Amino acid sequence: MARVAKSRGGGDVGFNMTPMIDIIFNLLIFFMLISQFEQLKIEPVTLPVSRAAEAKDPREYVNIVINIVKDPSSSYGGIVKIMSEVVSSDISRGIENSELAQLLIRKKETKGKRELNVILRADEDIAYEDVARVMLCAGRAGIEGWWITTTKPDKAL
Amino acid sequence: MRATSRKPGKVKIQPPMTPMIDVIFQLLIFFMLMPTQTSEGYLTTNLPREQGPNPTTQKDLERIKIELVEEGAENQDVTIVLNDTLVLGSSFDDLEAALKGYRAEGLPPNHPVLIAPGMAVRHKWVVRAFDAAVLSRFTNIQFAVPG
Repeated sequence: MARVAKSRGGGDVGFNMTPMIDIIFNLLIFFMLISQFEQLKIEPVTLPVSRAAEAKDPREYVNIVINIVKDPSSSYGGIVKIMSEVVSSDISRGIENSELAQLLIRKKETKGKRELNVILRADEDIAYEDVARVMLCAGRAGIEGWWITTTKPDKAL
Repeated sequence: MRATSRKPGKVKIQPPMTPMIDVIFQLLIFFMLMPTQTSEGYLTTNLPREQGPNPTTQKDLERIKIELVEEGAENQDVTIVLNDTLVLGSSFDDLEAALKGYRAEGLPPNHPVLIAPGMAVRHKWVVRAFDAAVLSRFTNIQFAVPG
């Protein structure tokens, strides 16, 4: 609480800076963490386990997070999602004509100077075919970085 | 600071609760959010540029090929075939040992390693094969893509 110096005959009212700084720090931490989640746009997937994976800071790059979640109607099919939107990775009419490749090409054209990086978050039980199609689209779009997200062995369920 | 009431001959001291609750909430939020940030890791690799088999060079012929074949009900399992000849069953520890053996024989870290999974092989097995190659200190790891 503000300590108000009181003296007879005159009042000296001062601002208390402590709670103000406190709240500013709280907001700073909140928005830093939210921006990280916002940038990643993650979906709940069961990630594959890896012992060799490294912790990296994705904030150094322009990132596109491609989630491949399990298709509930199939035992090992996947659904490609970017920013919570379903994107088709059908390459039957050519890789460059697929919706995913087009989206990545547009993103690459507008990325600015920083390196464009794809972070793949694929469910461990989906078929390689779904991952391979996404790889082909990203490769055709000229994506520089390709990160496969995994989880540590002790964190796996 | 909370004002403490003072009476002659009796001093009552109360600990300030507000900053204590403040700090406890800060720590609570910190420890709730931190585990999600540290449990994930990334494997990095190069992307294939073209669909189908690329023009084969002499170096490609010498590359280590890890073939993954889907097995079992709903392709839950996998069989590992190394260089078209050595069948390792589903043991990724054996794969890692074999790859480390190649390194011990003098293959450089940038020697190409090709992972060629069947289209129905589960993603987790592809990552396990990739893991074995990375742990064997190979750096030039490529993926075969559908032709």
